Amino acid sequence: MGGRGWTGGMAIALLVAGIASMPLAAQRGRGQAPALSPRAAAPVDLTGYWISIVTEDWRWRMVTPAKGDYDSVPLNAAARRAADSWDPKQDEAAGEACRSYGAPAIMRVPGRLHITWDNDTTLHIDTEAGTQTRILRFGSPSPSEEPAWQGQSAAQWELGGRAGGMFGVSQAKPSGALKVVTTRIRPGYLRKNGVPYSANTILTEYFNALPREENGDTWLVVTTVVTDPQFLNGRFITSSHFKKLPDGTAWHPTPCRSS
Amino acid sequence: MPRGRPSAGVGLGALAAALTIPLIAQTPAPQPAASLVDYTDEVARTATAGIDFTGEWAPRFHEDEPERVPGPELGDYLGIPINDAARLRATTWEASIQTLPEWQCRPHSADYIWRGPSALRVSKEVDPVSRQVIAWHAEWLRSVDRQIYMDGRPHPSPNAPHTWAGFSTARWDGDVLTVKTTHLKEGYVRRNGLPRSDQATLTEHWMLHGDILTVAVIVTDPVYLTEPFIRTTDYELDLHQWVPPYPCQVVEEVDRPAGRVPHSLPDTNSAVADFSKRCGIPVEATRGGAETMYPDFRLKLGDITSRCIAAQR
Repeated sequence: MGGRGWTGGMAIALLVAGIASMPLAAQRGRGQAPALSPRAAAPVDLTGYWISIVTEDWRWRMVTPAKGDYDSVPLNAAARRAADSWDPKQDEAAGEACRSYGAPAIMRVPGRLHITWDNDTTLHIDTEAGTQTRILRFGSPSPSEEPAWQGQSAAQWELGGRAGGMFGVSQAKPSGALKVVTTRIRPGYLRKNGVPYSANTILTEYFNALPREENGDTWLVVTTVVTDPQFLNGRFITSSHFKKLPDGTAWHPTPCRSS
Repeated sequence: MPRGRPSAGVGLGALAAALTIPLIAQTPAPQPAASLVDYTDEVARTATAGIDFTGEWAPRFHEDEPERVPGPELGDYLGIPINDAARLRATTWEASIQTLPEWQCRPHSADYIWRGPSALRVSKEVDPVSRQVIAWHAEWLRSVDRQIYMDGRPHPSPNAPHTWAGFSTARWDGDVLTVKTTHLKEGYVRRNGLPRSDQATLTEHWMLHGDILTVAVIVTDPVYLTEPFIRTTDYELDLHQWVPPYPCQVVEEVDRPAGRVPHSLPDTNSAVADFSKRCGIPVEATRGGAETMYPDFRLKLGDITSRCIAAQR
């Protein structure tokens, strides 16, 4: 009889489980609100003025690095050959002074950012350095565009927490990061001294706005993953940090410089 | 009834117990017996938050590789918000201090090790009753097993011992793990003598994106820093990695008189200016300080092309 008792117990138990989970399931299924726009659904606020704090890679970012100083970048032989032929004057003359301000490099160039929403589905980043503009679009990619320094960026929220689950328990407020994948990037430099990336580059970024610190600071961390089968031996991963500013009073855009 | 086979009542009881877990997560409930977790509102709030950081994490030296693997040069304090006391003390430092028996097995501290040249393993401790993560463990090759408590315990008295790992507690901010660390032994912010005091506190934010771990480390030090010092460091998940044991044995590395501690007297070590000369970067920058970490410092520098090339070291 023991076996039959266990089976009976399981049946009752499953019934109890079903009853217990009903209210939560009903809450999820009843009267679902229309889908929120990316702007309304934003789990974090990335908007505002931010300034890069250069505590890493100083000698490659705050001054123009020497030709041949390629430390830290997983370059292949072709990339080294290309970098060894770097000629900033030639770039300037060819109208290519913005080569080191493209999407794969721009978050690493010291300066301020201004992030705003253009509309419910488009984030907009202006940079002081090189006076560049990045457009991060949610949803379906726009029709194919010509390769540009800032490429074509597709954005999506990486929502955190566990919605649903075995017992239907979910976080009260999801939180997460912004993931951005950028393609169709005009070839340029990962660093000012001619370290190249190609037109085949795929850039993946994660934007995390961190909780406010005890001293009032708020930080934005951008993890940047560059994949370039033409010039890199593997993924090139860096992370850059920005401190939030109260306003844009110090905003001072500067043009691209080749050296 | 056969031994070991549960009755219907036992089955119901077990299920009822299981069903209470999510309900507890929604409303505070009495503390269950034999659990290390105190079911406070905070625990309930965070019970369904967070993600799993466990795994083998390989450092990627795509930032500051010369500083992290071979090691920094003497006199390179670029971009670090140090004060005069830190600078003065750093100029007294000599690398050969590492050969002293007392220093040979000294591990990197909790704040520095993220930037050190070591593989990382993260594991977790789970409460057997509540099944909540009650602690994370972070182990590096050249450091100690660092425990990060998630069970809401308070930090100890200020008079409690300070250690290389310090005392760490953490909480979830969405999917970001925020860690607070106190009780650190004196350490360094760069391996060229830049000191970090035992009064310093540490805030970390752990972020996971697929197979990439990014950690923001913010050091606040009232003794040697004028502003918080932040760095963000990346690791890649590496399923083939193994963090080997690192038994350290003290040996006689240098024959020197007993009690001799390698050092320079303040402001007498001219070698601290070599980095500036070699790289063509003004001393005003290489001396560091908060000003040097802000982009507008470049206006002071003017257009400079560095002469630094690793091969010339």
